[in-house]
Amino acid sequence: MARGNTSKRQRPSAPTQRKQAHGKAHCLRILRQLSAYIDDEISGDICDEIRRHLGACPNCETFVTSLRQTVSLCRHSPSPTLSAASRALMRKKILETTGTR
Amino acid sequence: MNASPATDRRPEKSSTRTRSAKDFDTLYRDHVDLMYRFAHRLCGEAETAKDLVQETFLNAYRGLDRFRGDAQISTWLYTIASRACLRMRRKRKGAPERELSLEEFIPTSDGEFRLQIPIDGLSPEAALHNKQLREALNTAINQLPKKYKMVLVLRDMEGVSAKEVGTIMGLNERAVKSRLHRARLFVRRQLSARGLGEPLTDHDHTPVRKRRSASHGTREHL
Repeated sequence: MARGNTSKRQRPSAPTQRKQAHGKAHCLRILRQLSAYIDDEISGDICDEIRRHLGACPNCETFVTSLRQTVSLCRHSPSPTLSAASRALMRKKILETTGTR
Repeated sequence: MNASPATDRRPEKSSTRTRSAKDFDTLYRDHVDLMYRFAHRLCGEAETAKDLVQETFLNAYRGLDRFRGDAQISTWLYTIASRACLRMRRKRKGAPERELSLEEFIPTSDGEFRLQIPIDGLSPEAALHNKQLREALNTAINQLPKKYKMVLVLRDMEGVSAKEVGTIMGLNERAVKSRLHRARLFVRRQLSARGLGEPLTDHDHTPVRKRRSASHGTREHL
């Protein structure tokens, strides 16, 4: 995709070539590792390679942003809470079951 | 996140042997909220979650004297709950169990690559004030096949480490990470696809874009 951008600047009327130059194989290799990248589980060299790719490839950069946002939304999702009455009722049911079986 | 270290200790050995009500009360008191949160996130609704919590503590009560204390109690309870959840799955209708292949999430066009989550620059906390987004997130998670959902919930919602998730689910860390990546890609796709034609509004039908200007200090790098 980085190359795609360059080719876009040089030859704006060649969308087919741009797509081929999209570096898909490279992008796909990056996409496979994005969770590990987000979680800081990637070793230095590969991490640098991914960072360079993201800096040069708007598509992958957008993709990683949306993946990061997804993870962030999950992490901040509100916690379901239990009422005191439900907590007490469940405890009672459990103890009744254990007492009768 | 998990139970605090102070409450995550194994009960006194002599007490566990007697399975005293006191031991059970301590276990229940210290972990019921944690288990309910986990169960609710797995089941997607309150009543089924309560059933799962009861099943979990019932099994924990029966197995308390076999708990060897070589894992945190929270890990042990997560394991019991996960197994109970898989058993429940067979009885209830839910998202079909299937494998998620990486290929199905690979964008085939620039447009797909550039799908965005419709949170419009808001911080996740601010964005989640929006009821539609919360529902979209919950729906996406509930559509995940259960074994992927479990990994995502444990890792990204409960904050459990990949190693611990592996212990809970009987998987190696590599398998945990592989499932997690697919689960995240699935949720990303569901959320971003939803955002394409449906501008989000909150409960009083105010577009997110307008709310953004009213919020202060909510921007955050995600």
